[in-house]
Amino acid sequence: MKKLHIVGIIVIAVAIGVIFTSLQSNASYSDFSEASKNPDTEYHVVGKLNKTIPVQYDPKVNADECSFLMTDNKGVEKRVVLHKSVPQDMEKSEQIVLIGKMQGQEFHANDILMKCPSKYNNGKPQV
Amino acid sequence: MEKITYIGEHLWIGTLGNAFVFLSLIAALVSTVAYYFYSKEELTSEWKKFARISFSVHSFAVIGIAGTLFYMLFNHMYEYSYVWQHSNNSMPMQYIMSCFWEGQEGSFLLWTFWNVVLGNILRRTMDSKWEAPTMAIFSLVQVFLASMLLGITLGDFTLGTNPFILLRENPEFANLPFVQNPEYLAKLDGRGLNPLLMNYWMTIHPPTLFLGFASTLPPFTFALAGLWKRDFTGWQKPALTWTFFSIMILGTGILMGGAWAYEALSFGGFWAWDPVENSSLVPWIVIVGAGHVMIINKNKGGSLFMTHLLAIASFLLVLYSTFLTRSGILGNSSVHAFTDLGMQGQLVIYVITFIFLCVALLIHDKLIRVSYIMCSIVILTVSIFYGHKKELLLCWLGASTVITIFSYIKFFPKEEEEESLYSREFWMFVGSLVLMLSALVITYFTSIPVLNKLFNLNKAPIKIAEYNIWQVPFAIVILLLVAVTQFFKYKKTDPKLFFKQFRVSLILAIVFGLTCTIPLYLYKDYSAASALNKWNLISYALLFISGLFAVFANAEYAIRVLKGKIRHAGSSIAHIGFALVLIGALISTSKKQTISQNTSKKSVEGLGEGFNAQKSLLLTKGDTLPLGKYMVTYKGKERVGIDVFFHMDYFERNEKGDLRRNEKGEAVRAFELSPMVQDNPRMGKASNPDTKHFFNNDIYTHITYADLSDDSPKNKNAYKEPTNFIGHMGDTIFSGNAIILIDSITTNLTEEQFSKSDSLLVVTAVLKATDVNGKVYRATPKYVVRNNMVMPDQFEVNELGLKFIFWKINPNEGSIEIQMSEKVNNAKEFVVLEAYMFPYINALWLGCIVMVIGTFIAILERRRVNKISHSVKS
Repeated sequence: MKKLHIVGIIVIAVAIGVIFTSLQSNASYSDFSEASKNPDTEYHVVGKLNKTIPVQYDPKVNADECSFLMTDNKGVEKRVVLHKSVPQDMEKSEQIVLIGKMQGQEFHANDILMKCPSKYNNGKPQV
Repeated sequence: MEKITYIGEHLWIGTLGNAFVFLSLIAALVSTVAYYFYSKEELTSEWKKFARISFSVHSFAVIGIAGTLFYMLFNHMYEYSYVWQHSNNSMPMQYIMSCFWEGQEGSFLLWTFWNVVLGNILRRTMDSKWEAPTMAIFSLVQVFLASMLLGITLGDFTLGTNPFILLRENPEFANLPFVQNPEYLAKLDGRGLNPLLMNYWMTIHPPTLFLGFASTLPPFTFALAGLWKRDFTGWQKPALTWTFFSIMILGTGILMGGAWAYEALSFGGFWAWDPVENSSLVPWIVIVGAGHVMIINKNKGGSLFMTHLLAIASFLLVLYSTFLTRSGILGNSSVHAFTDLGMQGQLVIYVITFIFLCVALLIHDKLIRVSYIMCSIVILTVSIFYGHKKELLLCWLGASTVITIFSYIKFFPKEEEEESLYSREFWMFVGSLVLMLSALVITYFTSIPVLNKLFNLNKAPIKIAEYNIWQVPFAIVILLLVAVTQFFKYKKTDPKLFFKQFRVSLILAIVFGLTCTIPLYLYKDYSAASALNKWNLISYALLFISGLFAVFANAEYAIRVLKGKIRHAGSSIAHIGFALVLIGALISTSKKQTISQNTSKKSVEGLGEGFNAQKSLLLTKGDTLPLGKYMVTYKGKERVGIDVFFHMDYFERNEKGDLRRNEKGEAVRAFELSPMVQDNPRMGKASNPDTKHFFNNDIYTHITYADLSDDSPKNKNAYKEPTNFIGHMGDTIFSGNAIILIDSITTNLTEEQFSKSDSLLVVTAVLKATDVNGKVYRATPKYVVRNNMVMPDQFEVNELGLKFIFWKINPNEGSIEIQMSEKVNNAKEFVVLEAYMFPYINALWLGCIVMVIGTFIAILERRRVNKISHSVKS
């Protein structure tokens, strides 16, 4: 079964390749201060929306831009410019993950994921 | 505390349900033990009878649980938490089924139910030789599934969640006032089904998918029975039909999920490589591999280890997928995983137990087997009492892998002769390996949250594009194998003859493929693309050509070699379907066009890759804007219950890009779409796209932002409170419907003339207001000073409903102040939308149907052949 051994080696090579490339990629969860250190690298920053200041979105000016304040898990607050239309029910989110990079004092995000744990579960029995 | 007597509760039915739960668990346990002993002493029929009866009792109990839950849902018994959580009084009857499997408990029950159905068919149709070992394993799986409904908490370990828990006993609601009210039931209405799930997909997709999950169990039990009884080939023939049944049903279930996502959810596609989607795709890929190596084994023998490995792995991967989606470990990385019900520990134990069982059965040496079992028990005990769970789990997994490899080398029969390079079995085997590899890569990427937890890493999930980069090469290899492998004969083929057979298909595929792919991928896009995109474009072209090759070669094989006999052509048809699925997926994804365009003209490409997708279009009511091949008008919204529909007209465009008009001068309407936003009181807003299907493309539109409130018709012509703007020449002011530029400021007097104080000064601000259609209006409000008295003069632009008053000049700053008032109805309704064009997505759906039909024909033919060979034998 020599030929199959060669095939087996290819399998192992691909497996190592996958692990190697995925470990090399920089996409890891992080915070604003680390993102500030490497302004050209993409980061996933986890944090909470500052709900005391309303999310700015004026579709008449640019339907693909909204802006808000987010506090990351280390307590650092930054202004975020999200280059997308404003996500629905953003003010209800409990946690958000931003994908993007730091530019000066602003974090520019190209995508957002929101966690609304009560989304599928709220409502209490009332009589 | 005084005991409250609650009025109107039906406590008996919960007791009945729980009795069924316990009965199903105990009967499954008894059945496992009885089948175990029956397998030891095959001649004693007492165990056989006992085992069969207990499995029947288990089946009865499972149907009893399902029946009880249905009865409770039908009769709106809100005293039960599950009923309250998933249904309500206004629920249409057709959705009661959907309520049944909306929750975790119900979906486990659905899975268990399908297992029972399949288990009974399996037991009645199979050769008596295999009954004892397969059903013993089958019953053991049922023990675990039945325990998922127990709902017992031991310390911090939860064993299952019970569907028959009372609402007032649900810890989530324990401190609410209704618990104190003995008459709470009289006025209580349920929370209801998530309105997002109130569609026909929810009625058909979960049962199909769970039947698919359940269908991986028979091949698994057969393979384990084979290991157990050291009969590595005997099980494969009866298991083959089951394997292809599983391929058909699980495949249908997954693609139904894709169709649901495409039709009703708003992520803009049919597949997003979401962990939940992946974890049902991976078992399918693996069982497809299993089916193919089993065919090798049937026709030529050999590939024994691979058949066992893949048949076992597909069920283990279903278990693993259950763990991923229901343990809460996916956390942020999935949009539709279940919420965590505290069952992580239990689910981990399930997966581990079955891995353990497989490895233990694989070891054929008593000493090694006993030491493996002892080691596992020691590791388990240590981890329970002393912690270090993660490290010990990794050690155990490592040890199990080593033992598996060792057992393969030591105990598995291997073929003596080497397979010929020109043989069908060799290339089918390679194909299965490629499938396994593709499944491994997907599993690895999907498991990033698990790896983070195991190794304390912080890796983010990978993106859709990265999944595609990895999977396209696998797909190319698979399609090439799908095209050529059937032209090989088993054992040995004449190479010259082999290449001759598919010559026509290959030439056709290359010629036709290149004529399509050169303009599609290579001609325009290639030179401007980055290195990564160049690689992508080439791989897409190769995938397209190999997809065509697979279609042509299989058609040629069916017509020329099989002489067009449909009965024999099941596999060719299924392969054509598979190739069409991949071609459809390729074209509709890689050539997906964003037809909505941001009109703000602000470029963000400077921010780098990933920041170029400016695709939100602002559409004000009554406006007509270009959208791809069409012009789109937003006509207004309409509220139906909690659903708000946004009606859009799509008009055709002429060569100049303007509205096409017919002889009467009317615009030619192409079609109407009404994307919807659900204003869901429980779940918040949910956008639901609308799609116009054409033969060769789909126009998909969904609303990303809109005001859902109703318009108030009163005082439309009144002016709102004015707003003050301080500006210089060249500044702009934004109103609700226009952009106003302070173009210039003129005066009738020079400074010298002005100093003669009695003269009349008129300063005019020239404003240029541009509306959304680009039409420019001039406004010239004047600042008039007569005899040192300021007399502001207002200027109205009636077309825009705007009023300007120029009331102040700040000579020191060089700025002017202008008051602007807008009419109430100026605040025109608008929506923000995204629209895409998916070309040739119909090839994907057609491929799905063809693949299912082909697999079904193959199953029928196999059953027919089996019956004939059976009757010949007897």
